Amino acid sequence: MAAASGTNDLSSEMELDAFRRLFPLSFHERHLLESIRPDGRPLGRARDTSLSLGAVASANGSALAKIGCTTMLAAIKLEVMTPTVEAPDEGCIAIDFHMPPICSPLIRPGRPAEVAPVISKQLSDTILSSGTIDLKELCLVSGKAAWMAYLDIYCLDADGALFDAALLSAVAAFSHLQIPVVSLNDDGRIVLVSEENGGSMKEKEPVNKEKIKLKMNSQPFSLTCILHKNYILADPISEEESIMETYLTVVLDTNYQLVSLNKPGGPGLASTSSIQDCIALAQKRVKELQQILSEAISDMEVD
Amino acid sequence: MAGKLGAAAATYSPSTGQRRKRPTIQTGSELARPDGRGLHQCRPAFLKTGAVNSASGSAYAEFGNTKVIVSVFGPRESKKAMMYSNAGRLNCNVSYTTFASPVRGQTPETKDLSSMLHKALEGAIILKSFPKTTVDVFALVLESGGSDLPVITSCASLALADAGIMLYDIVASVSVSCIGKNLLIDPVSEEEVHQDGALMITCMPSRNEVTQMTVTGEWSTTKINEAMQLCLDACSKLGKIMRSCLKEAASAPQD
Amino acid sequence: MVGLSLGEQTFIKGGIDQDLRTDGRKRLTYRPIFVETGIIPQASGSARVKLGATDVIASVKAELGKPNPSYPDKGKVSIYVDCSPTAEPSFEGRGGEELSTELSSALERCLLGGKSGAGAGIDLSSLCIVRGKVCWDLYIDGLVVSSDGNVLDALGAAIKAALSDTAIPKVQVSANAPSDEQPEVDVSDEEFLQFDTSGVPVIVTLTKVGGHYIVDATTEEESQMSSAVSVSINRLGRICGLTKRGGAGLHPTVILDMISAAKHVSEQLMNKLDSEIAAAEACDEMES
Repeated sequence: MAAASGTNDLSSEMELDAFRRLFPLSFHERHLLESIRPDGRPLGRARDTSLSLGAVASANGSALAKIGCTTMLAAIKLEVMTPTVEAPDEGCIAIDFHMPPICSPLIRPGRPAEVAPVISKQLSDTILSSGTIDLKELCLVSGKAAWMAYLDIYCLDADGALFDAALLSAVAAFSHLQIPVVSLNDDGRIVLVSEENGGSMKEKEPVNKEKIKLKMNSQPFSLTCILHKNYILADPISEEESIMETYLTVVLDTNYQLVSLNKPGGPGLASTSSIQDCIALAQKRVKELQQILSEAISDMEVD
Repeated sequence: MAGKLGAAAATYSPSTGQRRKRPTIQTGSELARPDGRGLHQCRPAFLKTGAVNSASGSAYAEFGNTKVIVSVFGPRESKKAMMYSNAGRLNCNVSYTTFASPVRGQTPETKDLSSMLHKALEGAIILKSFPKTTVDVFALVLESGGSDLPVITSCASLALADAGIMLYDIVASVSVSCIGKNLLIDPVSEEEVHQDGALMITCMPSRNEVTQMTVTGEWSTTKINEAMQLCLDACSKLGKIMRSCLKEAASAPQD
Repeated sequence: MVGLSLGEQTFIKGGIDQDLRTDGRKRLTYRPIFVETGIIPQASGSARVKLGATDVIASVKAELGKPNPSYPDKGKVSIYVDCSPTAEPSFEGRGGEELSTELSSALERCLLGGKSGAGAGIDLSSLCIVRGKVCWDLYIDGLVVSSDGNVLDALGAAIKAALSDTAIPKVQVSANAPSDEQPEVDVSDEEFLQFDTSGVPVIVTLTKVGGHYIVDATTEEESQMSSAVSVSINRLGRICGLTKRGGAGLHPTVILDMISAAKHVSEQLMNKLDSEIAAAEACDEMES
């Protein structure tokens, strides 16, 4: 503690920005003592979050999610595939998370970010295993044709809580997804039925009746918290993530059932009570995010 | 997962069966553009600086369906540089999202976009102002809707200005397509597919200097003259828009 | 990289100012061109061009392929340039890669015309055999053996020479093939078609040093350049492609000036190259 008090003394003689850069940990800890964070948030509050649907015109479903400065752009493209023999009436979803060099000073072209494949895997696990999306709904002709949904999420600005923002954008992109009307042509290939020439295509019965939305059973939402000493900091920015290294990600569905809980090591150890506190914070966050998503959907429908 | 991805090669995007590849552009004298513009009318442009917070400077540009984000990092330590250099280095990289083009993963000829961007910008940057260090210019094309490189170049110049890198002048870039006898400014993708020739100019409007110029297809000198004039006029207009965008950002209260 | 002393730099620049370059040439004079054709027997056509100490090889390989569905009545041409690490110290490792892609795309721009195929130096529709089904794919490979400046012009000349050396086998298409299947083709071993190269342009690079521009710059002169413009011009005097190669900005009128100078130079270069190619082919036939 002597060292800490030593830096405390220095802090009165030094400019704020210099102190923040030289002693980041004590800078943050002194804020925590006052139960406030450098950006003015209380410990348990997430940053302002916004969502807009349909950001990518060339995709079948897309969404732009912003949590504070962290920005994610998710887009879904549907392509036709032949289903596997094991699951003849199921479609497929391929999820990929990209961190292009524009999003962070730490990433350079040709050398992909280490966290990108980790988040990619976490996202596929969360979305595919939780049964959020019924793969049977992606079936077109049993055994012949089904939809392959390519979900690509690009991080446009990385400022902490990447997984939370990525998951939010993915869920929003799925709720924006519209499955186009298609029919089977003579060659056994699937072709689009466009609205204008729908009449002339009468002889070929569309496989699906109208543009449909994908039914989502229960959407997953997540909250990442930093565990530092006795403090729990919800929705950390990248500066906080780099200083205090233990974090815990809670994924809950809309019924507050636990979908996934991830604490990837770290120097701090979590007690049962702090995990429960994190889950309680996540429950509050799910309510907020649900609200934001339904507002975004109704905004889009008004347009 | 690997098995599923392996199957990806077998997928295809469904096409509109009947209306396939009918050239939308007639090469007659009456020429209608897909988006209803006049021949010498540019697409509406939307420009904004400060799109990416973690970068030193950044800009977002939207010209019709072409959407681009450019981040600038640095001047920072040169990774590759072993030798001392009086002038700074410029490093450019252009990439596309997988959903940028109508068919997934089919990105346009990107192989030399990075070096084209480098050449378009290097003449405008005062490299002597950051010796020994590197400025990185990274561009991501979110959606490709035609005239990608000119949009990337203009957007990159805004991002450089936003990052406070010393420039001789901002850089504006415009291309024209030649279809039949007609010159079309700021072509969209459908027009680019059918073009007989293309001319792209990157210039510094206030200095009236061309930093980059490419021509493809067969041109007579008079036609080149005409196309260059058209591009230069459009560049100076675009330059004004870019300037006002920068002024707006500078006069806006800081958060 | 050429390390030149201040004195040497001034000498080069001063010479260019006075229209007398270090090797005795005028500003708009090329070095002697030496052309040799048919140097690679396995290729459909090949040529070697020496321009002073710059030495490049181009080869053309024709293979049967399938046309791009967007352009069913056209063949395909791809150009790839490789910079040998022995050509210049800076090409070692990955150093040559950037220049390779730059040269490849500059050549594609100069030779292949617009996206619709109009104004192409190589007539792509002559490469089509069966519409939408079979066509010739031309693979043009360039190799920079030794570099002493003006590599692009030398490669352009080498490709032109290689194309005029190219013989494409005659193809018989069996007439009774069903329309939806890949037709059977019979490639002749004996009968060949000469490739028409009358439309292939030449490339002239003008390098701006100080207030003047010069053609066919050597490496030493290139190290002093402020910018360069490569123009490809066909026999009719029409511009088939143009690339500005970085460097400082140029005033638009200067560019137009350079274009008309390039046009003037291209006439001489075209004639010189044609007679060199004809001589080389005559020599090649004598040997074989």
